[in-house]
Amino acid sequence: MRARVWAATAAVCMLAGGAFGKDVEIGAVFPMSGTNAIYGDVFKSGADLAAEHINADHMLKEPLKILYEDSQALPQPAVVAMTKLVEVKQVPYVLSAFTGVSKAISTLAQRSQTVAVNGGGVGPDLAKLGDYFWNVIPLANLEVRAMVPYLAKHGMKKVALVYVDDPLGQSILDELNANLPKVDGKLVAELSVPTSTQNFSGIAAKVRASGADAVYIASYGAQQIQIAKQLRDNGVKAQLASYSGFSTPDALKLPQAEGLLYTTQAVNYKAGDKVTQRFLADYQKAHDGKKPSAYIVNYYNAVLLFGILAQKLEEAGKPITGANLLAERKATKSFDLVGGTVSFQDNGTLLAPIQVNKIVDGAGQPQETVDIN
Amino acid sequence: MLWLQLTLTGLQTGALYALTAVGFSLIFGATRVFHFAHGAAFVLAAYVFYWADTAGLGMIPGIVLAALAAMAFGVAMDRLVYAPIQRHEGSFFTVFVASFGIGIVVENVVGMVFGRSFVTIDSTLSQSRELMEGVYVAPLAWIAIACAAVFFAALQLFLRRTHTGMALRALADSPELIRVFGLDPRRLSSIAFALGSALVVPGAVMTALGSGLNPALGHHVMLISLAATIVGGIGSIGGALVAGFVLGLAENLALIAFPSQWSEAVTFAILFLVIILRPAGLFGRATAH
Amino acid sequence: MEAYLLNLGVLVSIYAILAVTLNFIMGYAGIFSLAHAVFFGVGAYVGAQMAMHVSASLFVTIPAAMVVAALLSLALALPALRVRGEYFVAASLGLQMLAITVFSEWKGATGGIGGLVGIPAVRMFGEDIYRPAAFFPLAAAVAVLVLIVTRLLVHSSFGRSLTAIRDSESAAESFGKNIALIKTISVVVSAALAAVAGVLYANYLSFINVESFTLNTSVLVMAMVIIGGTGTALGPVVGAALLLILPGLLSYLWFLPQTEIGAIQQIIYGLGMAVLMIFRPGGLVGRSAGARKRRKRDALKAAAGQSEARKMEGAK
Repeated sequence: MRARVWAATAAVCMLAGGAFGKDVEIGAVFPMSGTNAIYGDVFKSGADLAAEHINADHMLKEPLKILYEDSQALPQPAVVAMTKLVEVKQVPYVLSAFTGVSKAISTLAQRSQTVAVNGGGVGPDLAKLGDYFWNVIPLANLEVRAMVPYLAKHGMKKVALVYVDDPLGQSILDELNANLPKVDGKLVAELSVPTSTQNFSGIAAKVRASGADAVYIASYGAQQIQIAKQLRDNGVKAQLASYSGFSTPDALKLPQAEGLLYTTQAVNYKAGDKVTQRFLADYQKAHDGKKPSAYIVNYYNAVLLFGILAQKLEEAGKPITGANLLAERKATKSFDLVGGTVSFQDNGTLLAPIQVNKIVDGAGQPQETVDIN
Repeated sequence: MLWLQLTLTGLQTGALYALTAVGFSLIFGATRVFHFAHGAAFVLAAYVFYWADTAGLGMIPGIVLAALAAMAFGVAMDRLVYAPIQRHEGSFFTVFVASFGIGIVVENVVGMVFGRSFVTIDSTLSQSRELMEGVYVAPLAWIAIACAAVFFAALQLFLRRTHTGMALRALADSPELIRVFGLDPRRLSSIAFALGSALVVPGAVMTALGSGLNPALGHHVMLISLAATIVGGIGSIGGALVAGFVLGLAENLALIAFPSQWSEAVTFAILFLVIILRPAGLFGRATAH
Repeated sequence: MEAYLLNLGVLVSIYAILAVTLNFIMGYAGIFSLAHAVFFGVGAYVGAQMAMHVSASLFVTIPAAMVVAALLSLALALPALRVRGEYFVAASLGLQMLAITVFSEWKGATGGIGGLVGIPAVRMFGEDIYRPAAFFPLAAAVAVLVLIVTRLLVHSSFGRSLTAIRDSESAAESFGKNIALIKTISVVVSAALAAVAGVLYANYLSFINVESFTLNTSVLVMAMVIIGGTGTALGPVVGAALLLILPGLLSYLWFLPQTEIGAIQQIIYGLGMAVLMIFRPGGLVGRSAGARKRRKRDALKAAAGQSEARKMEGAK
């Protein structure tokens, strides 16, 4: 028995030792299994494309490699994965996603001086997670501030909210409560659902009884699609609305989601700059001319941002550590990323305009773009 | 009108719970195996039906294939997992852990094959029509309730009128007696698993058409079946049926009084209270001790 | 590398406490609870709240967590006194599911799904202890302490009463044992010690939320006990180590596609549970095959005696 234990320990050491290469390594804590794995696939395609471009351009002295760890979109497995990345692999930079996950790993990031960059979670709390936590995505408070006036302008002032009972859902609830009165609107029903619930026929009955003009859905992955489908199936005819979480391929394809309004950050693909054009061309070449979603842009940008900062550090002869990356970001005023030249706010969050989209024939059609400050 | 609507939705939900719970109760009652992987049979049947639909095989062959898959899974579990464990000293909990393990395996294999996100079959059956002012019912609701009634009646006939059925009912109480009458308890046990697993099919098919599927669905199905079996009283198949409806109704009617996030807890509060106040269940014939 | 092993060591220590305390009621009192994660959670939440608002000293957080968990464990003791076997499992399951809802909805105390963020590290000797190298000795020491306490209890007269009840309640009763009291105490002790694991967990990760205290955790801990060997001293510890190390090893298998690793880990974990139960139902630290047969014979005899006793009771 004892011999076996030592053999196992030795195996751990060897395998881990073997994993240390000469590459420049960064980490990613994405959902790779579980009900939200679909997001992991989307995020990864953006990050991988950026790594490909960075390596093709030889921006860094050694090739860049992204180490993916599975978070299942849940805080607890994410903390385990993050511990492995910062303690074992000692990466200086980690891509993060989902509000709950990001909050959970932020303490580890701060303690170990590792930069964590979020391009998927949109809970407004994410702006307050310390120096080492950055966001390359505008947060949900901005999204709600764009959606509410749009709904009001089109005569929809009574809004019902169906939200998942987590930090994201909570923040959307708070934002609707804060913003609806400003346009003379009213939140007529707030229905929260646990993350694991699958059956919403009862919820649909309550939504109908509330007499809402529009139903705002704030959930993720499989659940938000089930909510949209079952609301329609159970006789809810009101306008459906949602946030950027709805922009996944299978949500857009859902027949019942036709006509749904959702917000995303506005990416100006018509910007003539080289970065945007190259991203768009290469992405479409690899994906049958499909338009990339905002998530893909965000994680492309997150990795590209690392490339730019690390390149500068290498040129200055400094080691690529979390602390140096942070200092370099603070010293740099603006970055050329996909969608144009952007700059960070002091709290480490990127500002971007928001657009309202409508699902027409299974694809998002931009309706209007709102600048929010 | 809200209460009428919620009662109807509750009955629809309850009908799905009821048949699945009856299947679990049949297996548990006859073999005393805590078949936690019953939820996995549900997921398997649902995804086979979904696969048949996407492959264009049509509704009926899909249902037949789903039933075959569920039954094969149930019998395989009995033969390959439970029987060897019971041959050792295999306590009730050893069986439980093994069964839970297989449940995890099925969930993840299905996820790898069919993808981990949500799938649904588009069908007009799930689209509600307005029955009266403010009350909507989908054709699926009537089908679900009718299915529950027909399958349950057929099962009762089988258990009461056929030799095999009667032997199944006697199996849990006295396996020795079964042997004395020259019947093979192992074979009977497999029959219980085949029948019990087949009973997930209506629920699985209607979930695929209605609220949609994801690989993690089995967990919830299993917990509800277990709760219904206990609330109804172990060994009482009728009790499981009624309890299934009760839990479905309670979950939906709770929306009137409580914030929506508490509705699932209602099921388990009922379970906990029934065990403390009436351990034999609503229709139990044996006491819990 | 060292950090990785130390980190694993911390988790193994914490889960070992859970497995050892569950084994205490499972292996010696015959109470098969599927609600052990509830007390793990209660300990973690109470410990975290105390650390955030009162003091991060273990001498404050641990006693507070133990007291609250002990009081709440009466909710589990109640069905334990009324029903046995599958009924009790179902009751504990009901309790576990209710607790999940409370953990996710009582936002003032638990932070909901969002959880409690920024839990302060343990302060000892004027230092913050959170790095694996510093935390591991602490966690391991506490685990050993819990193991010793449960060992002492098992080998005391109290422990003998427990096993007597497990083997035959009616026989124990006829010897004048107060069954209700003994069972209640064992549940309370087990829950209070499980809460200690919760405190360590909250301090170490600096973040907790409901996902760490779900039914899956309860089953995981139960699997640790059964796979290691129910009713053995070191079995639960071995089970805890095994179930925590295996998935970690898998993620080093470079040839597995990265996007499928999570699912493959789960599949192997599930298969492992089933296969071990089929081939080593007595657990890894269980007795040899011969002893097992003997024990089985004894168990059969005991069971026969028990059913005799039950029949007599029924006849009364």
